[in-house]
Amino acid sequence: MRRASLLILALSLFGSAQPSQAQTSGTNDTLTVAFAAEGTTMDPARFSAGVDQYFISQMFEQLVRFGPDLKPVNWLAKSWSIQGTPDKPIIDVHLRPGVKFHNGDPMTSADFEFCFQRLKDPKVSRWTHLQANVEQFEIVDDLHFRLHFSAPDADYVVGNLQLWALPKKYFEQVGDEGFAKAPVGTGPWKFVSRSIKEDIKFEAFDGYWNKDARPAIKNLTIKIIPEDLTRVAAFKAGNVDWIDAVPLSEIDNVKKMPGVKTFTAISGNNLYIDFPSYQPTSPFNKEKVRQAVAQAIDMDAIIKSVLFGQGERYEQIGKGSTGYDANLKPYPYDPKAAKKLLAEAGYPNGFETPCYNLTTPREPNIKEYGEAVIAYLGAVGIRCKVQGLEYAAWINLGRRGRNGPPDMDGVLMWMWGQGLPGDPATPWAGHLHSFVAGKGWGSYSYSDDKKADDMVEKLKGVMEPEQREALIKEIAQYAHDNVLGGVTTYRPVITFAWRDKVDFRPWPAANWRNFQQVGLKN
Amino acid sequence: MKSVIIKGLANALISILGASLIIFVISRLSGDPVSLMLPMEAPKSAIDALRQNLGLDLPIWQQYLLFLSHAARGDFGNSYRWQMPALQLVFERLPATIELAAAAFSFSVLLAVPLGVLSAVYRGLWIDQVGRIIAMTGQAVPSFWLGLVLILVFAVGLGWLPAFGADSPRHVILPAISLGWYPVAAQTRIIRSSMLEVLDSDYIRMGRAVGTPERLLIWKYAFRNALLPLVTIMGVYFAAMLSGAFVVETVFAWPGLGRTVVEAVFSRDYPVVQAGVLITSIVFILSNFLVDLSYSLIDPRIRR
Repeated sequence: MRRASLLILALSLFGSAQPSQAQTSGTNDTLTVAFAAEGTTMDPARFSAGVDQYFISQMFEQLVRFGPDLKPVNWLAKSWSIQGTPDKPIIDVHLRPGVKFHNGDPMTSADFEFCFQRLKDPKVSRWTHLQANVEQFEIVDDLHFRLHFSAPDADYVVGNLQLWALPKKYFEQVGDEGFAKAPVGTGPWKFVSRSIKEDIKFEAFDGYWNKDARPAIKNLTIKIIPEDLTRVAAFKAGNVDWIDAVPLSEIDNVKKMPGVKTFTAISGNNLYIDFPSYQPTSPFNKEKVRQAVAQAIDMDAIIKSVLFGQGERYEQIGKGSTGYDANLKPYPYDPKAAKKLLAEAGYPNGFETPCYNLTTPREPNIKEYGEAVIAYLGAVGIRCKVQGLEYAAWINLGRRGRNGPPDMDGVLMWMWGQGLPGDPATPWAGHLHSFVAGKGWGSYSYSDDKKADDMVEKLKGVMEPEQREALIKEIAQYAHDNVLGGVTTYRPVITFAWRDKVDFRPWPAANWRNFQQVGLKN
Repeated sequence: MKSVIIKGLANALISILGASLIIFVISRLSGDPVSLMLPMEAPKSAIDALRQNLGLDLPIWQQYLLFLSHAARGDFGNSYRWQMPALQLVFERLPATIELAAAAFSFSVLLAVPLGVLSAVYRGLWIDQVGRIIAMTGQAVPSFWLGLVLILVFAVGLGWLPAFGADSPRHVILPAISLGWYPVAAQTRIIRSSMLEVLDSDYIRMGRAVGTPERLLIWKYAFRNALLPLVTIMGVYFAAMLSGAFVVETVFAWPGLGRTVVEAVFSRDYPVVQAGVLITSIVFILSNFLVDLSYSLIDPRIRR
């Protein structure tokens, strides 16, 4: 009798488990998705890393943004223009009328002035340097304001005019703490609740201004599943309807699943290999050694075998980015030429060097990619003493002008995202321009070239798009010819998957994790 | 009994202070968090300003004294990453870890005790062999691998249980098995050898001679006496599950403290590391303290 009871108990346990799929997966008005990582803040003025945009971009909006075709679209700005003089430009912005925050307050110029003040405050913002050239925020009327610059600042334009719509009145009512608990924006999704490390829940905003591009479902739940295989398993089991970052080894399997759609795109990151070309005693000070590095690595083979094809080669600037030049090709893989160049540089037997590899998976298979690069270098005689570094140690090693151990002295696997659709100005200011203590130039740079410095500095001041494009092409060619700012390798590709009952149109915000247009088919 | 409690509490306080000092120093030796908190292009002035804001420009001994005085008032500072009170973050995540550890602990004890007792009673027979295989499998298989296999079988293959999350009691079943299987081997072996020793003692032989039913002899007289070594190791294993749940929490996206603290270590989020480790240490020390107290309940001679 007791044994029979135990059997019934066990069966009822598994029996009750049967409806698990229906309980967690999307119902008719709810979409459940899974991200590999989560943002840490819901305040656009406080965001510190790209991952923060995963949540922020669902409910906050900027003046300008990129559409699904990666073309800039005036968003909360009805129109804007650059006025003033070349030395002291003014950005004149007219806001879109009729935009409301989730709490019903109308969006006005004061909300952008409030955002500007918060972004300038080092106690709040990690991005104060982006507002350094704005000397005055002038409110003309509720829907019209002007930004007066002390010097030309192209980064401001590249960064979609930097400012977010932040509800000044609401902030004054609830304070920072209240805003963190119940954030309010103008975006298509309203905040409902959040449990750190678990999930975030949104509800579609009925009063959303954009009637053409808005969600067609009521609720959105984003689950956080950091483990790749668990995320895929949850998708296969039907626990979630949409997943990001399908692991490289699983992409083919997921694509073959019946009733599943996938989308593959460039993720916005740019990887390269750097070396201390600025150090007179370093072998990498010699241009021929740098050219040898560029020709020693078979990146196509690495992309095919190590990255399962999920990477795109690029030279200085990725396809689709500002200033992309289809004629500028990567150095060809030619180990014989690489050995010859090393011999001509005075290293007929090669040389030993420290090589620093990132082991934290900031991108899929990044450690293995670094190991393959190191193997290719060894094959031409650049023999690495390999040191693996986790992310924090890697960042600390890479930064110039810090207090602590000596500067990086070998080959370093590095990355600096040019973004989507991509603009190289900020990364170049950081790793192509030489290091200048206390000035913000070359914070992770191992180059020292006067002409490159001059061109990168000039680029910061060029706000006019055509002039800017021409200058970027010129700099890219110069960096390529002299192998400055490192050897560019690849741009990671990311794959998303969803059930075909989901009607999802990818928008590039938050590296394609933006649910601007999503619905469920009947 | 009173002196046992006072002595235990004094030991606990010293251990907690020691743990606080070790974690404070080690976390600071592991690297600078400021570079991680700012965008790569941030100028040095912004880095210096942030370092000053966070009090990281002070000498380390001064930082420690400040930390102690604030921690004594329950203020561990704000998380650098999450920009919320570190203690709040820890207390929000701690119940999930305790829930998981308790479920895993229950699973391991419920499996290990009958296996150990039956292995001792049927020494050398097939039950003993099967018990050994089950127990050793748990110790030989890494918890992350076991977790993924359980997900593939019970979530993807059979669809019986959810693959991840902590939404309902059913969500705890697979993570608890993954976390709880490892200590089964040790617990089984301890209870088995302890039972063998007790079953070989004079009073059990006497019991058998006077015709005491076997079930009563095993479970009432032998098992209670064989329990003491198991209780000792149970406290350690429960504490180890609390602090070692990180891997299983990651595999099952379980929103626990382990994952939070390990990620805080990698991002050099000192306040969360300090709060998380200190609170875990307190739970660890208290669970051992409770184990010490339980000896005196199980064995009245200790009370004397």
